[in-house]
Amino acid sequence: MIKMGRQVAVVSAGFSEHASKRSDVSMPELVNEAIIDCLKNVPSVGIEDIDGFVNGNMPAFEGSNIPELWMTDWMGARDKPLLRVTTGGTTGGTVAIAGYYNVTAGLPGIDTVLAIAFEQQSQGDTSTGLASVAYGEISILNTLGISYEHLGRLLSAGAAIGVAAYQATNYMSKARITEEDLARVVVHNRRMAAKNWWAHLRMPDLTIEDVLDTPYVQYPLRYGMLCPASDGACAMLFTTEEKAKDMCDIPVYVNGVASVANETAVLGYDGSGSCQTDPSAQIGGMRSSELAYAQAGISFPRKEIDYAEVYSPFPNQELMWLEKLGIFEETKSPEMYETGVIALDGELPVNCSGGVNSTNAIGASAMERPAVAAQQIMGKADNQVKKTVHTSIGHGWGGSLNLCTLMVMSDEPKRKWR
Amino acid sequence: MSKRTQRKSLDYIKKDYVRTRTMPASWYLSSYKFKFNITHMQPFLKKLKEKKLIANQCSGCNRVFYPPRLVCGQCLVKPDRWVDIRDSARVATYAIAYLKDPESGKVVERPMVLVHHDGADTCNIAELNPDIDVKDTYIGMPIKAHWRETTEGGMMDIEYYDAMEDDAKDVEYK
Repeated sequence: MIKMGRQVAVVSAGFSEHASKRSDVSMPELVNEAIIDCLKNVPSVGIEDIDGFVNGNMPAFEGSNIPELWMTDWMGARDKPLLRVTTGGTTGGTVAIAGYYNVTAGLPGIDTVLAIAFEQQSQGDTSTGLASVAYGEISILNTLGISYEHLGRLLSAGAAIGVAAYQATNYMSKARITEEDLARVVVHNRRMAAKNWWAHLRMPDLTIEDVLDTPYVQYPLRYGMLCPASDGACAMLFTTEEKAKDMCDIPVYVNGVASVANETAVLGYDGSGSCQTDPSAQIGGMRSSELAYAQAGISFPRKEIDYAEVYSPFPNQELMWLEKLGIFEETKSPEMYETGVIALDGELPVNCSGGVNSTNAIGASAMERPAVAAQQIMGKADNQVKKTVHTSIGHGWGGSLNLCTLMVMSDEPKRKWR
Repeated sequence: MSKRTQRKSLDYIKKDYVRTRTMPASWYLSSYKFKFNITHMQPFLKKLKEKKLIANQCSGCNRVFYPPRLVCGQCLVKPDRWVDIRDSARVATYAIAYLKDPESGKVVERPMVLVHHDGADTCNIAELNPDIDVKDTYIGMPIKAHWRETTEGGMMDIEYYDAMEDDAKDVEYK
């Protein structure tokens, strides 16, 4: 018999307001906003009931590092166990997974853990942060004798967009789609965001023509298709199965988590990786879904999952991830957007919070996905889907384009006989 | 061309936040000296000087790495076999960058390609010949390395890639 850890439940999730410049708050105040919102949903829980804290943000983006040292009081973490986890784009996802691990480990006295992810990008220079983060990859090309100036030309549009553009070309030729299909995804995301109080780019009247009217940043991605840079924070409260029943009406059980890195997959920066010849292959993502679904006992993702939140800063990635996570068949997701399967009242709603395409506070983005997925099961989401959600997934993507995190949640605990 | 340079932003619901104190600050970030190990690719750099391409092969999974790698990520062994590869290649994937010329201020379209050399299992990033029209670029396009006249023993010896005649009949999308 496999000995398993304790069953973990999410009882609440909270957000701060997201905007391009939150000029009214400092970074600790922003974090505090999310924590207050998180605790507001569970009236019986006070800050004294929380036993441990996990936090994280993208390093070097705000120009100030080790935020957990001067933010302790704002998080309510004084004299309590505190961890910081940071893995670049997936920081939020790994922070949530670290919160899960803390509870499932069954350490004495640690039952309730608050996980916090945040980012205030308007404070600092994102490109400086990215340059220092991406250097590990770029160095390989320097080894081969390519100068930094020449590299600047090759990757002119900057780290994330530059890479996503290659991925988009590849996906588009594979699935035989046009830019219109990409724009359709953007319109879905931004219109959904309009109904979400904390989202950043809220565009209730956006049309496909509006998106296609904007100039190219790097073919095939247009200016209107790109994710914004937001300020924001997100908090999630994890606790044990027994305590969760007292804290809220519908606890959301975390039944599977996975965080898988493939080989370094950035374009030619490094000479390996399965994603190298095909940036839209993403074997790490497929492996993470295999692992998480196996833990949760999901055999037919399309049938068993009722709601999906995928990490998609660029529209082609949303299409790609839905296929890689086993929800739709290969090259079939553009069709699903056309027929409305993924709409709010559809068969399998996707990204009804607006997704990363509408709100992207990098450190927090990957945690907002499981947080919204959990809220949809609780029935407390701002843009609640029409059907009852039993099982949902929250996905994160980042690292050096190869790390995937996945959290599978359900309103029923994991079956013990497995 | 003017349409490409102007940034037309889409309207969205904005909220005005009270502006509190903003203190400007700038860190002086010191200059760095990054160290690289190039011992494992000495044979490769020597051959580049002779305008020849070689790659190393993992003895565990038989994958051919171009450019050479120190460690195979799949098997965690040192690739120790050297194999010759051709200078012909195919476009694995591409993106079009819009570069602003610093002198004239004109925006130039340049396709940036991932090059998959024949005989290799990995790709590297490179530029196409500036004479190739952007619209003619497609995935699977056959290309050939164009060498610089004086080679120094580095990846920069390949200036760009020239287009080759595509005689493949199964390529449907050009």
